[in-house]
Amino acid sequence: MLIHLENIYKIYGEGLESEVRALDGVSLDIDNGEFVAIVGSSGSGKSTLMNILGCLDSATRGEYYLAGEDVRSLTDRELSQIRNKQIGFIFQGFNLIPALSAQENVELPLIYQGISASKRKSFAEEALERVGLSDRKKHRPFEMSGGQQQRVAIARAISTKPPIIMADEPTGALDSKTGQEVIAFLRQLNKEGSTVILITHDNGIAATANRIVRISDGKIIEDRLQEVSAL
Amino acid sequence: MNWLQSFKMAFKSIMSKKGRSALTMLGIIIGIASVMTIVSVVNGYNKQTMERINSMGTNRVSVYAYRQDNKNIFDGLYDYCLGMSDIIDGITPSASIWTQGGVRYGSRSSTNMEYAPQLYLGSDQYSACNNFVIEYGRDISKVDIVNYNNVCVLGARAAKLFFDYLNPLGESLSVNGVAFKVVGVYKEKDPDSDWSLDNVIVFPYTASRAINNQDIGSLSEFIIKGKDKKSLTEIVSRVDGYLSTVIPEGTGYYSVYNEGQWQDQSNEFAKTMSLVLGGIGFISLLVGGIGIMNIMLVTVTERTREIGIRRAIGAPRSAIVSQFLVEAAMICGIGGIFGIIVGFAGTLIAGKLIVNMILIPGVGVTAAAFVFSVVLGIIFGMYPAIKASALLPVVALRAE
Ligand SMILES: Nc1ncnc2c1ncn2[C@@H]1O[C@H](COP(=O)(O)OP(=O)(O)OP(=O)(O)O)[C@@H](O)[C@H]1O
Ligand SMILES: [Mg+2]
Repeated sequence: MLIHLENIYKIYGEGLESEVRALDGVSLDIDNGEFVAIVGSSGSGKSTLMNILGCLDSATRGEYYLAGEDVRSLTDRELSQIRNKQIGFIFQGFNLIPALSAQENVELPLIYQGISASKRKSFAEEALERVGLSDRKKHRPFEMSGGQQQRVAIARAISTKPPIIMADEPTGALDSKTGQEVIAFLRQLNKEGSTVILITHDNGIAATANRIVRISDGKIIEDRLQEVSAL
Repeated sequence: MNWLQSFKMAFKSIMSKKGRSALTMLGIIIGIASVMTIVSVVNGYNKQTMERINSMGTNRVSVYAYRQDNKNIFDGLYDYCLGMSDIIDGITPSASIWTQGGVRYGSRSSTNMEYAPQLYLGSDQYSACNNFVIEYGRDISKVDIVNYNNVCVLGARAAKLFFDYLNPLGESLSVNGVAFKVVGVYKEKDPDSDWSLDNVIVFPYTASRAINNQDIGSLSEFIIKGKDKKSLTEIVSRVDGYLSTVIPEGTGYYSVYNEGQWQDQSNEFAKTMSLVLGGIGFISLLVGGIGIMNIMLVTVTERTREIGIRRAIGAPRSAIVSQFLVEAAMICGIGGIFGIIVGFAGTLIAGKLIVNMILIPGVGVTAAAFVFSVVLGIIFGMYPAIKASALLPVVALRAE
């Protein structure tokens, strides 16, 4: 099992009057090579779940095993290495560094791997090529359209060839046609072997996933496999 | 992530907001420049003072003594000091004299020289007491003094003024109209100043009669050269005792003074100056450092989201710490370099204006200034850098 969550709680202000249970006892297993859509209404806890899955945040309680390792026992350096090598993140707001060019943004995860400049360059160029942005290497984020920025972000996520892709509302800031292209790209990555975890509140997009996990008020209320509708 | 990468990143970040970086550096630039200037000028001045004291002669006791009846004191004192040759190297009068007619050789006259030579009356031990060494000819001898010989020895500068590159030995100088034969020239010992210690003409002290028609009894200033610093106290007390018998109460006046104290005082003064002024400069550096900390804190807040992104894609805490530390150290290091440049200029200008010397900061001071500015950056960058790295990635990512 690639991902194993058991009774995960994320509670803000526990014990207070204003206590918020963003995750309220979530148990979830995800296997290698799956394409999972996590759906739910706004405020249901989707992003909270992804942040915990992506080792960006820690749970209040509960067990999380990633590739057999107990995440709670890992040091900051080890968690950073997991984020760096195992996971590629794609965010709704792109999260590119404005001062850096497209190429430099894509190289960033490779820098933290200590890869040599020339290798970095070729890996980054390869990733930008895949998302069709070879001609925008030198551009900075504010010189690009939203769709282009998201493609840079995707290139950054895949530049290290991570086994897991986590995308939190990757189409939220895009028009539907551009959004479709992004989803198609994720499907392609999945076909090549990556595990994809996609967060969305759009049922149409969720319909492209092999498996749908629906959460509400921090609880999983539905978890089913489905036939993938043709894109 | 390697260091080269961190340096590139920090440099880029500094260059992307030049105005702010420059303002931040200003405090460091001013601080480093002023500390450097102060330390260099005080050091340079002190070094020169010490050199001057050394070339004048160290380990000296100066004596001031006269009797109202103008009875000759010196000859007795001279003999008394000979009896202490185990701790005394020499004794001489040290009076400089002035003559209306000046000194002439051919068409050259001291009366129309910009820096006229000083004329001294000395004993055969004048050179020993004043750190002079004979270069040509001979020194003033005991015989010259006893026989009232009209001879003189020239300092190197005085020799040049009257004779250029000609050989002065055997030539005669006219002093107040009286001919004095040059018998020797002292080696140069103080080449770099207008009021050079080499610009002197020394006569046997008995020549005062021929030059000014003055009695030896009118000599009242003497120098005793001790063997070493330790012997000075004993010399002072014994000479004091001797003079009290020669000049009983009410018959005149005398004082015996240890010149070594002078040297210590001058050293002490320079140290105090360095400390006080350097301290003021140091405080301005601290203020500059706090400015750095302030700006780095602002930078960290502004870039919280960037920190979150970096953390999300795999930067460990240590990489964030080193990123901001390197940036702070680099701002300070660059500021330090500019400060050093300004400090060089400041030292040259202040040296010229205040002590009229051409001073340049030493290698040690320069290296220390640079290292100190970088260390300052590291110290004051530490807190913001740690603060930047302490945020959870998810919290940093949520920042606007
Ligand atoms: N730092 C926090 N402090 C307190 N409550 C929080 C915090 N972060 C999230 N929450 C709460 O946790 C719940 C889940 O938030 P989460 O961001 O996971 O929702 P979401 O499903 O991603 O919503 P959306 O679709 O709008 O992005 C919300 O009710 C939110 O208000
Ligand atoms: Mg969300």
